[in-house]
Amino acid sequence: MASRSNGRILHGFGLLAVFAVAIFPVYWMVSSSFKTQTDLLASPPVWLFTPTLGNYAEVFADQKVTSAVVNSLIVAVFSTALAVVLGTPAAFALARYDFRGKSDLWFWFISNRFISPIALALPIYILAQGLGLLDTHLVLILVYITFILPIVVWICTDQFRSIPKELEEAARLEGASQFDIFWRIYLPLGLPGIAVSAIFGFIFSWNELLYALVLTRRDVQTAPVVATSFMSGYELPWGKIMATGTVIVLPVTIFALLVSRHMVRGLTMGATK
Amino acid sequence: MSFLRLQGIQKRYGPVSVINGVDIAAEAGEFVVFVGPSGCGKSTLLRMIAGLEEVTSGQVFIDGQDVTGTEPAKRQVSMVFQSYALFPHMSVRDNIAFGLKMSKVPKSEIDRQVAEAARILQMENLLDRRPRQLSGGQRQRVAIGRAIVRHPKLFLFDEPLSNLDAELRSQMRVEIARLHRDLGVTMVYVTHDQVEAMTLADRIVVLRGGKVEQIGSPQTLYDRPVNTFVAGFIGSPKMNFVAATLTGRDARTVTVAHSSLATPVRIALRDDAQTKGPSVGDTVTLGLRPEHLVLGDGPNRMILTADIVESLGGSTLIYGQTKARETMILEAPGRRTLTKGETLSVGFDAAQAYLFDATGQAI
Repeated sequence: MASRSNGRILHGFGLLAVFAVAIFPVYWMVSSSFKTQTDLLASPPVWLFTPTLGNYAEVFADQKVTSAVVNSLIVAVFSTALAVVLGTPAAFALARYDFRGKSDLWFWFISNRFISPIALALPIYILAQGLGLLDTHLVLILVYITFILPIVVWICTDQFRSIPKELEEAARLEGASQFDIFWRIYLPLGLPGIAVSAIFGFIFSWNELLYALVLTRRDVQTAPVVATSFMSGYELPWGKIMATGTVIVLPVTIFALLVSRHMVRGLTMGATK
Repeated sequence: MSFLRLQGIQKRYGPVSVINGVDIAAEAGEFVVFVGPSGCGKSTLLRMIAGLEEVTSGQVFIDGQDVTGTEPAKRQVSMVFQSYALFPHMSVRDNIAFGLKMSKVPKSEIDRQVAEAARILQMENLLDRRPRQLSGGQRQRVAIGRAIVRHPKLFLFDEPLSNLDAELRSQMRVEIARLHRDLGVTMVYVTHDQVEAMTLADRIVVLRGGKVEQIGSPQTLYDRPVNTFVAGFIGSPKMNFVAATLTGRDARTVTVAHSSLATPVRIALRDDAQTKGPSVGDTVTLGLRPEHLVLGDGPNRMILTADIVESLGGSTLIYGQTKARETMILEAPGRRTLTKGETLSVGFDAAQAYLFDATGQAI
């Protein structure tokens, strides 16, 4: 008994340690965003301080930050939505049909994620310049789709494969077309997988820095680009950087919380047996 | 002309042949059961009637029309799956209405038909539930409801009761029989359970290895099985088989001897076996049904050594061994207590004995 409860205590401490390591940077960012510059630079660091909203006032007064958040939202929402619209029918076909080159196509989708993003940065820059797309929302949306699409296809193919084939057969006997089967059976039942891939896609688009830095100049700078742009000059405005960071983290956290309830598996429970 | 006709049906998956030339016909309103051990091709055959599986060669006719290459939805058949195949994200009402919606039936008509199906299957109070909130029997009923509303020409059942417990299974069996009587529609039912086959069928098709072994009414299959396979498959507990020797024959009867038989037994030959069949000295298989064996009584006697006794409450299954160490089962009414090794005298009527030649064909 004693060794079992000791084990539990150890287990609890272990979990707490991992949690602390994971959450501490977030805590530091959020708490620092409420500190004055003096508290921020204090050595040793202060743990108890009088909170101030000054940093947030400064952030929201800065046109650059608010427009960057809007830009990020536009790019993330459209790239995620389009990747889901394009990826789910592809996943349906890969999960349910046999056709020539199916496994090659499947591998091709995955292999898109093998390439280091930096390797493609220059070719994509030249391409975007040639097409006159530099510093537009469209170029970021297009580039992000190429990154998110494999994730959507990947996760949703797996999800669709787990749907019992009898459901499709029953629907076929009832007169459902291929589109009906996809729209009325596979999409609703595949919602957990679609939700997970949408979260991944949104987070990727939201956080992406490299391409946003390379392909945008002034008009469509996204939030991560603007946040890093503060890290130049003589004196670093830590409070503003931390407040910007907190503002950037909020939408993606809310989105993940909203969508996560669809991630609950077991929606297919009761279909068979 | 038959309502459902399968003509020279073959099915191959690459080099593997699973259905080897099957010809079956069913009349309108008939209840046909495909029965056989797993892997005999009974479900594949059903799926080919539904159109879910392509036919390698041969033709499928429904109501006089060749539907071999027709889309499943256009065959006007409904199927109840072993796994029910209910749509888990839809209510019972939407599950039942699904096919009607696909056929663009007006909403008022859909509501009327769903209510009618719910009334027939006594599930009016379940219409707004999701499949996961239903018990196994209720799910099965919804699956049947979904099949009913489309007024199909043909009902197909693929082992619909095998996921249910024993009590529910017999209850649903009665419901399906009642449904067939009330609707009068042709039904094809697949099962590996010979009790379901015997109780439900107008006609049974016994399949083995992708071939039809015998087609006939349950009574015919019980009384006159064409071979040891059908004889062993129909009837529970299964028929006892012992290797006997033919010691005499005349035009209509043969005499067989066995080391456990007190005296040789004279058995009448089937009409078709009277001109051919085995000759004196050949080994034949004597088949005796457990329910036809009587402890300590009967015109013909067999001596067995008692082994195990299973009490079923109302009756008792007694396992004994012949002198040649063949296991025999006999079903005795009431309760019996026997000790292992006890000698049993078992009687039977020669008219209820079955005889098969060395290849297993009935003679």
